[in-house]
Amino acid sequence: MSGPAFLAWRYLLHHRIKTAILVISIALIVFLPIGLRVLVDQSARELTARADLTPLVVGARGSALELVLASLYFEPEPPEPISQREFERVRRTGLVEAVPLHLGFETRGRPIVGTTLDYFALRGLRVATGRAMAVLGECVVGARAAREFGVAPGDTLVSSPQTVFQLAGVYPLKMKVVGVLAPNHSADDGAVFVDVKTAWVIGGLGHGHRDLAEPGADADVAAREGSRITAKASVVEYNEITPENLASFHFHGDVGDLPLSAVLAFPPDERARALLLGRYQAPDEAVQVVRSTAVMDELLETVLTVESYAVAAIGVVGAATLATAALVFLLSIRLRRREIETLHKIGASRPRVAAVLLSEVVAVAVLGVGLAGLLTLGVSRFGEAAIRRFLLS
Amino acid sequence: MRWLPVALLALAVACSPAPEPEASAPDPDDAGPLVVYVVNEPLRAMAERIGGDAVEVHFPAPADVDPSQWSPSADTVARYQNADLVLRSGAGYDAWIDRATLRERALVDTSAGYADRLIHVEDPTHRHGPRGEHSHGATAFTTWLDPTLAALQARAVAEALSTARPDASAEFELRAAGLEAELEALDRRLSAMAERIADEPILYSHPLYDYLGRRYGLDGRSLHWEPDAIPPGPQWRALEALLREHPARLILWEADPLPETTRRLTELGIESVVFAPCSNRCAADWLAAMQANAARLEAARSPGRPIR
Repeated sequence: MSGPAFLAWRYLLHHRIKTAILVISIALIVFLPIGLRVLVDQSARELTARADLTPLVVGARGSALELVLASLYFEPEPPEPISQREFERVRRTGLVEAVPLHLGFETRGRPIVGTTLDYFALRGLRVATGRAMAVLGECVVGARAAREFGVAPGDTLVSSPQTVFQLAGVYPLKMKVVGVLAPNHSADDGAVFVDVKTAWVIGGLGHGHRDLAEPGADADVAAREGSRITAKASVVEYNEITPENLASFHFHGDVGDLPLSAVLAFPPDERARALLLGRYQAPDEAVQVVRSTAVMDELLETVLTVESYAVAAIGVVGAATLATAALVFLLSIRLRRREIETLHKIGASRPRVAAVLLSEVVAVAVLGVGLAGLLTLGVSRFGEAAIRRFLLS
Repeated sequence: MRWLPVALLALAVACSPAPEPEASAPDPDDAGPLVVYVVNEPLRAMAERIGGDAVEVHFPAPADVDPSQWSPSADTVARYQNADLVLRSGAGYDAWIDRATLRERALVDTSAGYADRLIHVEDPTHRHGPRGEHSHGATAFTTWLDPTLAALQARAVAEALSTARPDASAEFELRAAGLEAELEALDRRLSAMAERIADEPILYSHPLYDYLGRRYGLDGRSLHWEPDAIPPGPQWRALEALLREHPARLILWEADPLPETTRRLTELGIESVVFAPCSNRCAADWLAAMQANAARLEAARSPGRPIR
């Protein structure tokens, strides 16, 4: 190491706190715009990956973004309902694999997703412990939700209305946990899955009670007129589905009228996708079919616009920081006047002293840029995993 | 500056890559015989007859249980979940499926092709809670007692198997055609028998014969008599009252009634004939059992035999 470089290095080590602050400031100024871009790109890839896996979403007319976000990430506010008949309609086309989704209820702050077993197959979800739900009242818990709740197969969870406005008519149903999913690093990890019919029971659209036609049910019957039976308000409706009362659970009216939040459609190829989209283009069509990737791309365009504002702001802050750093160096030179005079007296030439000071600036800049490079490397290497683990799960 | 490597290491550990999502389980469609689960004996017989060696048919209901009243355990439902195909009888017969979670892709309602020919029956309505008056609805479900509907059901089975195994569709089609021909022959035989019965009033031990009665124009009234129990006094009195307006001389039973019941019915001039729906295990092959039903009815109303 040359003399000026050695002196500069020893100076920096001696004033390590000041040096560290300068290095970190420069590193952050360099890293923030680059790291932000890398993270945004990675987040965009992760977001579009789930949308890619869910090519089409069928739902009520309205905000396509709300429909897609609710269907992919189980947002707390479900979209306007469509009927089960719409699910049958999509299925009957024979063009796609269709999966119903019922959203809107939760347990301990986590969403309850009513769906079918096909959802697990099409999402690549695997039951790690226990088994899939088999009968009404059973649920399978996502890996993260199970960890948070501390539940395992054999435990129970109680549903709760998702908003205070749903207090009437929504059943608190005691659900039996029969399985826990393997981690998928997606929104599925934080959800509790039930059969869509169980979701209808939670919503009060199906229920179980003793057979009112039985002679022994007189205590619960207010009146019998021919084939018409009026029950007393005190008739007990079950809030837990057990093997003993399972057979008494039933749904009223036409099951085709019961509500769904959305239908996920998985076309095997572009042709099937185009054909299905074409079938929902009539102006008086009550439901819409949206391409989730197109909707997510629109969302990401907005995110990128916001990012450009953020980068501009970081640029301004960066310029101010660099000016401050320059000021620190200039003030440092003034404070070190006696030290510089001493160097001159012991024979150091002006260029040599300048070389020492310049070496300090270069060393700090190189360390700062190097640290920024390491941080960027870390983000590009581990960012996707971190996004999946901390943001998307 | 010694903290810098430590901090970078900590960052690396915190962000250690998560395992990749698990791949979905391989679809078993192309491995071994097609695993088919059914909900009653007629469908088991049809699937085995049409599918041959290409299918493996399972009907796990206990032999002593009426499959229409069966509620399988969660473990049994889990077996149905693993099936390539689950053949429903439809018409409300397999109500347990509405309370179970099965793969929608595997479910096939074999009655869908004749939904407009189903018979809806009256069911008590009731009112409780805020949901107002409602009925649980009911549909007569022993559709296969009408051989023309059974043939349509067989056609639905063949189509479901062909969709699941297109490579074997030719052999499925061939066997289905054979079964349909036999069902047509059964239909002709029962039609000839019905001409002999003509307008004669008859009785059914249970409301199981709606489709048989409609197909062949039988003037039947249903009781709720169990073949393995002697009806109590009020039921006999109700029968005597019914006979005054519906003078039946023939009653169809789903199984052999107790000798004492047969004797008392004979005293009233009513002949007992077993016409088994055979919804659970039959003593013989299902189609043979249907032929045996026709034979018993023919014997009871043979041309040379006077109606008592």
